Amino acid sequence: MRLWLLFAVLTRATAGTYFVTVAGLGGEPEYEQRFASLAKEIDGLLKQSAGALRIDTLSGPSATKARITETLQSVSRAASRQDSLVLMLIGHGTFDGVEYKFNLPGPDLSASELAGLLDAFPGPQLVVNMTSASGGSLAALKKPGRAVIMATKSGTERNATVFARYWAEALRDPSTDTDKNEIITALEAYRYAVAKTVAFYERAKRLATEHAQLEDTGSGEAVREPSPENGQGALAARFGLLRIGKAQLAANTPEKRKLLERKEQLEQQIAQLKYQKAAMASEQYRKQLSGLLVELAQVQAEIDK
Amino acid sequence: MTRLNFTQTMLRALQSGTVVTLLACAQPGSPPAAGPARAMASPPSAAALAVAECQKHRHYGRRQEARACYTQLSSRRDPYLMAEGLWGLGFYQDANSAFRQAVALHPKSAELRTRWGRLFLERYNGAEAEKLFREALELQPDYAPALVGLALAASEHFDAKAREFAEQALKLDPNNIEAQEVLARLALEDINFDKARQEAEKALQMNRDSLNAMAVLGVLEILEDKPQTWLRRMDQVNPVYAPGYHFVGHQLQLNRRYSEAIEYLKEALKRDPDYWAAHSELGITYMRLGLEEQARRHLELAHNNGWRDAATTNSLRLIDSYKNFVTVPGERCEVRLDKKEAALLKLYVVPELEKAIATYEKKYKVKLAEKVKLELYPNHEDFAVRTLGLPGLGALGVTFGTVVAMDSPSGRPPGSFHWASTLWHELSHVFVLTATKHRVPRWFTEGLAVYEETAVAPDWGDRLDPTVLGAVRDKKLLPVSSLDRGFIRPTYPSQVIVSYFQAGRICDYIAQKWGFQKLLDMMHQFAQNVSTPRVIETQLQMKPEAFDQAFLGWLEQQLATPLARFGDWTKRLRQLAQAAREKRHDDVIQQGLEIRDWFPDYVEAGNVYEFLADAFIAKGDRKSALAELERYAKVGGRNPESLKRLAALYEEHSQPKNAMATLEKLNYIYPVADPEMHRKYGELSLEHGSVNVAIREFQAVLASKPVDLAQAHYNLARAYRKANRMEEALDQVLLALEAAPGYRPAQKLLLELNSKQKAN
Repeated sequence: MRLWLLFAVLTRATAGTYFVTVAGLGGEPEYEQRFASLAKEIDGLLKQSAGALRIDTLSGPSATKARITETLQSVSRAASRQDSLVLMLIGHGTFDGVEYKFNLPGPDLSASELAGLLDAFPGPQLVVNMTSASGGSLAALKKPGRAVIMATKSGTERNATVFARYWAEALRDPSTDTDKNEIITALEAYRYAVAKTVAFYERAKRLATEHAQLEDTGSGEAVREPSPENGQGALAARFGLLRIGKAQLAANTPEKRKLLERKEQLEQQIAQLKYQKAAMASEQYRKQLSGLLVELAQVQAEIDK
Repeated sequence: MTRLNFTQTMLRALQSGTVVTLLACAQPGSPPAAGPARAMASPPSAAALAVAECQKHRHYGRRQEARACYTQLSSRRDPYLMAEGLWGLGFYQDANSAFRQAVALHPKSAELRTRWGRLFLERYNGAEAEKLFREALELQPDYAPALVGLALAASEHFDAKAREFAEQALKLDPNNIEAQEVLARLALEDINFDKARQEAEKALQMNRDSLNAMAVLGVLEILEDKPQTWLRRMDQVNPVYAPGYHFVGHQLQLNRRYSEAIEYLKEALKRDPDYWAAHSELGITYMRLGLEEQARRHLELAHNNGWRDAATTNSLRLIDSYKNFVTVPGERCEVRLDKKEAALLKLYVVPELEKAIATYEKKYKVKLAEKVKLELYPNHEDFAVRTLGLPGLGALGVTFGTVVAMDSPSGRPPGSFHWASTLWHELSHVFVLTATKHRVPRWFTEGLAVYEETAVAPDWGDRLDPTVLGAVRDKKLLPVSSLDRGFIRPTYPSQVIVSYFQAGRICDYIAQKWGFQKLLDMMHQFAQNVSTPRVIETQLQMKPEAFDQAFLGWLEQQLATPLARFGDWTKRLRQLAQAAREKRHDDVIQQGLEIRDWFPDYVEAGNVYEFLADAFIAKGDRKSALAELERYAKVGGRNPESLKRLAALYEEHSQPKNAMATLEKLNYIYPVADPEMHRKYGELSLEHGSVNVAIREFQAVLASKPVDLAQAHYNLARAYRKANRMEEALDQVLLALEAAPGYRPAQKLLLELNSKQKAN
């Protein structure tokens, strides 16, 4: 699975990502302002990264059901099967036990209406629903090829969430990039935001009223901690949200191609070795890992020259 | 033996634990005595006499006869007699049902409601009991037994009203022996030994076979290190009177003499192995001394035999939860930590405890014979259960001999708790209790512990707060001779806090005027079981009254400015807060600077320092903001965000040493859930300070489960490399690269370490 992931990341260079961010109805001036400013912050970060095909950000009076529909339809028309879509929803949501709705100025947008719009997009999709009650949207949104991140585990967690704040922070904090490949993926950002949300409630000595979840297999079985063991997180790991540092300037000169190939081989061997760790004697594992990492470091040093 | 941060009502918990109904209700109580005027429609006096007969057998230890008597009552058709019989046989649920029927039959009987209330009281339902006593008094306001019931219920939670109720009962019925016994017990708990003796003797005049009065006198003999006569006499009257020994054990616990308490509780069980209340208290006492196996055995026995009061059940639950804890051994200590935070807290708590032990051993010239056992509870209610078996305790830490239990830093909101200060406070108790063999008045050991907090660092300990200042202004401080009562039976809500403050300041005053050695001399004299007035007279060569006068003069001089300005300061602080809300920065600066030094100790929420710092930052004057936050930290301000801001300002102003010192302060306040703070401190230490501190801080980052694991391992690798611990550096860099194989800085370090290894 890990090898496939690496391949997916590498091939992504030929495709592009469409980003749509929507800050819904706040209801109160404080929330209105908070949602809009988070959307604006995300918009700014995406634009800085300069890796997107197109960035649409809707907030305030323009974040209506009609505008969202129009935007998603337009993006779907423009995209190819290799392109990806990242839809981020900030605001309040409601769940009546059957249907989730994203609160917007004018008519709300239901999860099933949203699913219908997303179905028209030809490539892989990521929906980051950061609203209250967002867990209630999974039943409608689940689909193979679509990763869904929700701020709450169910539709019954109805309090305003803080997850969006930490999602935005994840995009601007380089430490989110835990594998240090200079790309912040959806999975990394999810893990960052979850950790920060947990810490927020712990520090405030408040009972947590939101428990973020991720589902990206289409099974509808969302999990809190995606891992190879539970099978969740593979698709989210493919979604590069932001490029940081010099990753995009990777040397593609012909003289370094051999080194790049060797680097890729080594990375694959390291990934394989890590999956065998549990079945190996620790000394043997350490020795092999050390050897591969030293060689990878040497190759990287050559590439960087 | 405790550290408090706010006034509490469950005061008894501070000294000991289980609050049990003793003596009077340890068995189906005294006969349903008639008051001066009998209640209307009450059970016939023949019934009362029948009950009294059974109780008499029990009083004199004639168990078989008592049992036969209660059996007979239980088969009577009169539901009241049936209730008494069932109660006497230990069928509490059935007795309760029978009482319900009896009350339905005689709804206007104050007597029945009172007896029913006593059943509830015995079965640890004080609230329901109190309700019934009050109903009885509504029916018959001069019914003395109902007042006795209220006195007993109030005494369970150390309510000062207990005495009033007992006195009222005696006024209505001068022959009410139970009321007299309650007064003796209350005086004993108030450490007023002369009064306790007098009250107990009065009870014996009423009834020369008063077992409870004998038990009180027996406790006095033990506490005063006199030969025992009264317990022997109690045995002569009733050779199987387990409640009397339970009472003695309980009182010894209250006086922090836990090992002796165990012996008397065992005596209770020798006399009645089925006395489950004593099993429960014995279990809890064992638990206090860290003897969990014995604790569990007795608690389970009590619980499995129907003694399921909150203290027993909660304590068993807590023992079960110990599987979630680990014990970290130190050289002279053992620290029990929750598994979830052990990796982080052991970095700070174990070395601090070792340091404190070494310091006190030198300072008090006392060697501890055993290891100090420290327990830290992230869930405050677990700590409360550990302390008194019940949730709702306001204390931060409690000492039982050489066992200290306290809140973990994560158990309190950030900034509200200085864990190291509490640790040093509690450890001072360990040494004082050891040195005095637990013979020390409460005010002295607490005062010395408070004194020790600021002796470690002036910004530790509690600051003077408006409540305490108000008490000084209103002349509410107690004379030193009776200061213990401020801890044990407060007469106003904040008196416990005020008493801590006063005791601490008395020790400050003595140390300042006579030197610290004088405090040690006093401690050694207290160990000889000498009273406070005598110790003051011998050691300070003055009468306690003269000492009080001199101390108050000194204190008022120390607090002259806050005392004079307190009223104005309160008003002006409100105006300042308003200006800050409206972002009138110039006004905040002008007003804040004017009033800041009127009450410099005030560092709680809405303090002048933070208002000023915010205003200066808004005006772009970061140097002045730094100066204000520096003052705030120096006085003892503990808001983690403000301290972090101060550290950042120091760094910005090229003062890395000060930045590190500030982050070190923060570690003593809230080291949890903040990997970024530890990373920052680690970086600063690596560049400007001690590499060992850097290693500790980067270990703390890892223990805080950071999102960026690779960076955390890499930083620790750098620190190890600087400390020339190459093998550990290599381990860490491999862990960093295992998490993120492409992490370039770690790759470079790996190559460097690898080449060094080859070269060697």
